[in-house]
Amino acid sequence: MTSPLTHTAHDMTAGAMRWLRANRELGAFPADISGDVGNPDSVYKPLGELALAASLVLREGVAGAAQLDAARELMDFSWGQMRKGDLLYERQLRHPLMTDPLELYGHYVRGGRRHRALEELLEFNASVGSLEEVMPNRRLAVANAHRVVGLDRADDWEALTRATWLGMTPPPWAINWMTAYAVTHTVFHLTDWGASPRDVPADLADYLRTWLPVWIDIWSEVLQWDLVIELLIVGVCLPMAHCVPAEWERVAKAQHADGLMPRDGEPIVGDRLQRFRAHQHTTVVAAVGGTLALSRLLNEST
Amino acid sequence: MMADEAGTSYRQATAALAGRVLLAVQDSDGVNLADFLGSCRDVTAAMGAVRLVGADIFVPQSLLNRPVDTRDVEIVESSFSVFPPTSQPSTPEQRVMAWRDWATGRLLARLTERDPSTPGLSTAPGTVATVLGDPGDWQRWSIALAQLSSLAQPDVCTPVIQAVEEGGRSLSRGATRAVLRRDHPTAARLARWVALLAGRGTRLDLDPGLLIEHIRLHAGTEPSLLLDLAVARQLLDREPS
Repeated sequence: MTSPLTHTAHDMTAGAMRWLRANRELGAFPADISGDVGNPDSVYKPLGELALAASLVLREGVAGAAQLDAARELMDFSWGQMRKGDLLYERQLRHPLMTDPLELYGHYVRGGRRHRALEELLEFNASVGSLEEVMPNRRLAVANAHRVVGLDRADDWEALTRATWLGMTPPPWAINWMTAYAVTHTVFHLTDWGASPRDVPADLADYLRTWLPVWIDIWSEVLQWDLVIELLIVGVCLPMAHCVPAEWERVAKAQHADGLMPRDGEPIVGDRLQRFRAHQHTTVVAAVGGTLALSRLLNEST
Repeated sequence: MMADEAGTSYRQATAALAGRVLLAVQDSDGVNLADFLGSCRDVTAAMGAVRLVGADIFVPQSLLNRPVDTRDVEIVESSFSVFPPTSQPSTPEQRVMAWRDWATGRLLARLTERDPSTPGLSTAPGTVATVLGDPGDWQRWSIALAQLSSLAQPDVCTPVIQAVEEGGRSLSRGATRAVLRRDHPTAARLARWVALLAGRGTRLDLDPGLLIEHIRLHAGTEPSLLLDLAVARQLLDREPS
């Protein structure tokens, strides 16, 4: 409990949840939104990420009362925006091969929400392999969503994992910014966001423990905070956690007093809505990172 | 001469001398320091280059068992008269230079089978930890190690080699960091240590051959860097002693 990192992680989550709660209405859909959702990256997917953060704060249960209240409120808000699942259902009906309704629904299920008609549709789609072709790490996201929702597709996790960049353990310098995100998401989905660190194959865990410090260092140097926090989360998701206080403190210093976590080192500009749109993702990542780090630290100290 | 002109002159002379050593490694010619000095307009800068390239001047002897040219030995010894070694290194830069000088002295002693005539070259300048630092601080540690790349020759500085073997993971991380930061000179210097350990049979976290080849394909044609890569390749291909 007295580790400096527990305080850093707690404060990161507390600030991020406070900011997400205070600004949640900026992330609402316009009126009469349909299952097409317009640009899915503008409101729809961010609402799903908000549900992800809330679901993990609730699942881990290590946050203070204020953060747990915020998590419940944000889960209600996000689920309400999805019209309690109807919007996801309509989108899946209209686009049977799209995987995002399933992926987002997994976050709501983790947060205790269910939509029966959507699940019936997802189960049918899963049984016939109605699935668009996706990047290997995204395929793991689909597999994890099926697992979380409880739809057994008998996925070959080993084969899916080995098809990713990480699964092939290339030389550690053969990585770029986008591929680093692929690495983080491979681990997030393999472990269902840190719930099952043992699901990372031993050789990949060794590889990550060896090279994470390098990747964290170089992307910290160029102030890529969004990616850095995701890499820090990967460390928390490993069977033997990689949790170095100095690495966390470096990024924690970038968090603003109101809880906003900047995505990078560029100046924070624009009005409230523009700031929200530019930095909400990284603030969600900060909430997730702080929560998972705190949970891991507390569980390993007991 | 203005300070920046002198700096340029030293850099050019150092690059030229590294290029000569590289040719000597690749072909069977000697380094021929006398000819090198004669080719330089600024003899002081040329002697400075001899001091900076230091132990690497004898790479053809150390790695390829080429015969020693006594004139080269005399010129290296005289460079210590022009630029005497620091007797009490106190800054990080002085400590690095002191270890590089010591390595040169060790090679001179081995090649001539007599103690170095220059005072201060016959004893190790303190502990390895004082120059490299803590291997847990792998960024700083590997940068210091890169500055000691001329020590990455077989059996020159056993205490340093032992420390590097114990810090194999820090070395691998430092080399990878340098590649990702496109700091190719540092990457090439660390590749020498990677190759030295691999040649000694030490298991590493990365593939030394791929590292050397990646740097070769991306790093350009700067002579010191190419010399480091050539040495690394020789170290890697060497039969374990």
